[in-house]
Amino acid sequence: MYNTRVRGILIQGNKSYQDVSRDIIKPLNDKTPMWWWITAFLATGALFWGVWGFYNTITVGIGTWGLNNNVAWGWAIINFVWWIGIGHAGTAFSIFLLILRQKWRTSINRAAEAMTIFAVMAAGLFPLIHMGRIWDGFFIFPYWNTRGPLWDNFNSPLFWDVVAISTYFMASFVFWYIGMIPDFATIRERTTSAVKKKVYGALSFGWIGNARGWLRFETAALLLGGMAAPLVVSVHSIVSMDFSVSVVPGWHTTIFPPYFVVGAIFSGFGMVLTLMIVMRKLYKFKDYVTDGHLDAIARILTFISLIMGTAYLTELFMAWYSGSEYEMFTFMKNRVTGEYKYAFWTMLTCNAIIPQFFWFKKIRKNITMVFIMSLFINLGMWFERYVIVVTSLSRDFLPATWATYQPTITEIAVFSGTIGLFILGVLAFFRFVPTIAISEVKGVLKETTTLKSFTDEQH
Amino acid sequence: MSNTNIIAVYEDEQVLLKAIDSLQSNDVKVKDVFSPFPIHGIWDKLKQTTRLPYATFIYGAIGAGLVFAFLYWTSVVNYPLKFGGKPLNTLSFIIIMFVLTINIGTLLTFLTYFIREKMYPGKKVEMPVPRTTNDQFAIVIEKDADMNEDQLKKINSLLNDSGAIEVKESTVNYEA
Repeated sequence: MYNTRVRGILIQGNKSYQDVSRDIIKPLNDKTPMWWWITAFLATGALFWGVWGFYNTITVGIGTWGLNNNVAWGWAIINFVWWIGIGHAGTAFSIFLLILRQKWRTSINRAAEAMTIFAVMAAGLFPLIHMGRIWDGFFIFPYWNTRGPLWDNFNSPLFWDVVAISTYFMASFVFWYIGMIPDFATIRERTTSAVKKKVYGALSFGWIGNARGWLRFETAALLLGGMAAPLVVSVHSIVSMDFSVSVVPGWHTTIFPPYFVVGAIFSGFGMVLTLMIVMRKLYKFKDYVTDGHLDAIARILTFISLIMGTAYLTELFMAWYSGSEYEMFTFMKNRVTGEYKYAFWTMLTCNAIIPQFFWFKKIRKNITMVFIMSLFINLGMWFERYVIVVTSLSRDFLPATWATYQPTITEIAVFSGTIGLFILGVLAFFRFVPTIAISEVKGVLKETTTLKSFTDEQH
Repeated sequence: MSNTNIIAVYEDEQVLLKAIDSLQSNDVKVKDVFSPFPIHGIWDKLKQTTRLPYATFIYGAIGAGLVFAFLYWTSVVNYPLKFGGKPLNTLSFIIIMFVLTINIGTLLTFLTYFIREKMYPGKKVEMPVPRTTNDQFAIVIEKDADMNEDQLKKINSLLNDSGAIEVKESTVNYEA
């Protein structure tokens, strides 16, 4: 059977159950710290700039973006794919690690899921806005209309995208919320503030935590998780099909679905690492998010980075091996060398080379280094999408139509707006919700703190 | 049904599990257990099961069927539109069916869970031992009207011997 206890002590500091509740709820009761206000102020500024970008796009049109006849997709789709990728962390953490019985997930899953929700919200704005005529957005729903009725094209990956992403958002949210219910009840019973008792009482849906309640809770969590796991794989496969079902060189490859799914999990874990280091520093959660947790994430990233490197090399190899001169041109002349080579090499360095430094224990133990490397991964994954979208479109079959692409201020504004939205969401999560799953941590507390006696039993 | 319950409070789930064994071997029926986190193995002892997975399966199966019916009806029956020389009833329906099966299954499982648990936003509850959401555990035994003094004494002594930090009677009706 599985040996799931190889990770040693998960929660440090010999905590009692009471300590766990107190430590995790403490930030909710403390005065709002200064860093929170400053970050919220900056994020609101970014959000307002994004609102301006939205307004500009909708009132003037897509002409405010740097797109042209050839490069018809730009920052909007790049950022969309980037955010969706980041949004894969929550489910990857919660569900894959739940299925693999990795108990170390308990300190991290709540925050990773919250991140998923806000990242998917940020991502969802891009398809909405890039329609140009946003008021016709309801055309996407297959409703009974007076044009035939003419239905959607159910064979289009763009339609699949809409279905998949809205389902993914709903499923992630439901899973996240169910997990929080017992913790809201904990706050309800502990708090002395009448307002909090009322609000968290309402949010806890009347949870009492009896045996049957827990049985159904566990079963529901497993069912929802089990259903969301294939969804993680399908969402990013579908996103990759937006590209791969076309005939554009550099997109038309069968490697795309797995390559995108792995890339999504890679960027998601990268963002989780960034966020966890910040959270444990600001809230002094070192006993819960231990060095062991960060070490585990770093190891996973090293492994996924190897897969990413393999995928990049496979693409290059296939460009040559396929004998297609267009593929060869896109990869060798337009990516490895050429106008956008800086983007290609940034991608390769950040995703395939830098994470390999995690092989060294010294680097894995140096949290500042880990933090910087996690930022590089986020950057590298952005450049990956940039390389895929822009280099393939800027120079395709007809040299007469070759064009370069530069983002305009409006596109930059919209992107910064989504970053602002994401950060505000995460800040609200930090402030009002227990950032670590209290009941789940309690569930693994005993068996890991009494690890020694457990291993004694084994022999 | 009586409204009074005998409640024994514990501080450790292992002690509680042993207490349940000792109660059950003395033919005392354990009505319920409260805990701050799920205790695995307790459901076997209390002989509790759930049919939620069956419900989810049925939702998913019905969902897949309905989605296929809709896709088939729109694309083949109602407005058959040929494009790209592809068949009207195509394999690529599978993708939407797959995703929407998960969608329907998730949403209905979520709702079924709340309906079965009688939970809704803003529900007011009273807990027999409020600290069971925090750091304590409790065993609930229903006090029947036809229990005689000897039986009650036996239950009390079993609970006290099992390591309970407190044994009390409670009239809180948490099942409402």
